[in-house]
Amino acid sequence: MMSRSSHRIATAGVVGGAMVLFALLAIPVVALLVRAGVEGLRQLGADDELRRALVLTATTATGATAVTMILGTPLAYLLARERLPGGAVIAALVELPLLIPHPVAGIALLLAFGRASAIGSVLARAGLGIVGSPLGIALAMLFVAAPLYVSAARESIARVDRRYEDVARTLGDSPWRAVRRVTLPLAGRGLLAAAVVMWARGVSEFGAIVILTYHPKVASVLSYDRFTAFGLDAALPVAAVLVVLALVPLLILRSLRTGTGPSERPS
Amino acid sequence: MIALRAVCARAGTFELRDVTADIPRGAWGIILGPAGSGKTTLLETIAGVRKASGGTVALRGVDVTTLPPERRGVGIVYQHGYLFPHMSVEENIAYGTTNVQAALDTAARFGVDQFAARSVSSLSGGERQLVSLARALAPCPDILLLDEPFAALDPRRRARLRVDLRRLLRERGTTVLHVTHDFTEAGTLGDIAMVLEGGRVSQVGAPETLFRQPASAAVADFLGAENVLSGTISLCESGGDGAPGTLQFTGDGVTLIGMGDRAAGTGHAVIRGEDIVLAREWPVSSSARNVLRGTIVEVARDGVLSRVTVAMGAGTIVAVVTHASAMELGLAPGEAIVASIKATAVHVC
Repeated sequence: MMSRSSHRIATAGVVGGAMVLFALLAIPVVALLVRAGVEGLRQLGADDELRRALVLTATTATGATAVTMILGTPLAYLLARERLPGGAVIAALVELPLLIPHPVAGIALLLAFGRASAIGSVLARAGLGIVGSPLGIALAMLFVAAPLYVSAARESIARVDRRYEDVARTLGDSPWRAVRRVTLPLAGRGLLAAAVVMWARGVSEFGAIVILTYHPKVASVLSYDRFTAFGLDAALPVAAVLVVLALVPLLILRSLRTGTGPSERPS
Repeated sequence: MIALRAVCARAGTFELRDVTADIPRGAWGIILGPAGSGKTTLLETIAGVRKASGGTVALRGVDVTTLPPERRGVGIVYQHGYLFPHMSVEENIAYGTTNVQAALDTAARFGVDQFAARSVSSLSGGERQLVSLARALAPCPDILLLDEPFAALDPRRRARLRVDLRRLLRERGTTVLHVTHDFTEAGTLGDIAMVLEGGRVSQVGAPETLFRQPASAAVADFLGAENVLSGTISLCESGGDGAPGTLQFTGDGVTLIGMGDRAAGTGHAVIRGEDIVLAREWPVSSSARNVLRGTIVEVARDGVLSRVTVAMGAGTIVAVVTHASAMELGLAPGEAIVASIKATAVHVC
């Protein structure tokens, strides 16, 4: 049995360890905000390039997220309900982009969809070139962040007991109607949280985007550009604005997770 | 109405095998069986939410084995209700019907109108089961599958609901298949019953037949027979025309005359505790063919009943008498007792 003093030492160790980690995460962010937060917000009103970059970042991330929700939710459903042959392999492949260094992801996208590729040349002829275009930015965001959506959406759907759908089917619903009336509303909060995580991940992407599309600049590329071209002081306000804006999805996520939603368990 | 032929289905590692049974139109079928014997899997296979891996399921004379649940016209009520938590009680009841008023009127027959406006999360377990039942009844299915639908209700409400539901379903001519662990429920509601064990049907028949003439020692044990004795069987008199014959059973140091339709060999004698008549004196005029002396080992109170364990031969038998009878006879451990058992109450299997 643990003595009182060793219990105190263990408690101090756990708390101390937690504080060290918290400090490692918080200090850089706080330092950035303290040093450049006010200036960043001031610049937001005056810096056209920064505003354009933020709008571009938000619209491309929203587009990538919307497309992923439309295409990824059915995939997440099939994976959650184990209705895909080779589902485990597909799930692993879907999550693979999470493990690839992001510049490598950019290179892979360039190889697959760049002008030199078969698909890329067709897209370019249709006016949908992915290099140096918002489409390329959205594609890069989708590639690196969609796995987060599919994975979280799959878990969220899997938490909804299959028998709710079964009951809806015996009450006359087709499979699609049962999913629409029962499963999606019950998983809705989780799907929304998954979308917010994906959006936030897309907004913060740099490595894959910079390979495909340096211009027009998204916010992360702009902060890098200011840093390399003009030095730390020029990059700081842009960086601080990005940190402040990151609070938006964070707060949405918090409210989604703490809010009281309908139980997904048998009622 | 429900015709199952060699139905097989899988649920994880569990396998339902070769289930064959018929529930006639308008009949109330009961499924009994220990936990994990495949009762819910069977209901789900009939409802179509689980695919049969073999055999055929026919409803109303039509093979529906490959039809999806929404085209089978079967209602199902799960033990846990599975009410849609994002909908109100009323929305749940109206889910599968366009005639909402009729559905609510039916629900009112079970007292659901008292909490129709409440949210699902505020309901008790029993109330949820009632709403779940009302929801399944709303589209007026002519086949209803019930998976322990009364389990969360208090005994009084449960007894009342049994009567009300039976009346309603008789009016509608609904065919029912009902999973229960409650033998009283099985006896009072069931027209036909089946016992499932390990994914296979052990016996199908009238509930009374199952209780009085279980097909095996395992079925007898599951159905709560107090005495399942092992021994050897010899034939006394053949019943003829498939009727049970008279058999002599010897085992555990006692010899009994019983009834059964099996050949000589090793087997079991099953006696329900309430069929054993206890007396202090050797009965002068008893028609019972088995009259045995023994010594009381234990008298245990079980509600209004007393379970009396009597040492007899090399083993014991348990008789069930009312507590009042036990008091009147002055039954106590160590006392000598005479047990009379009719041959028809000794089922040899």
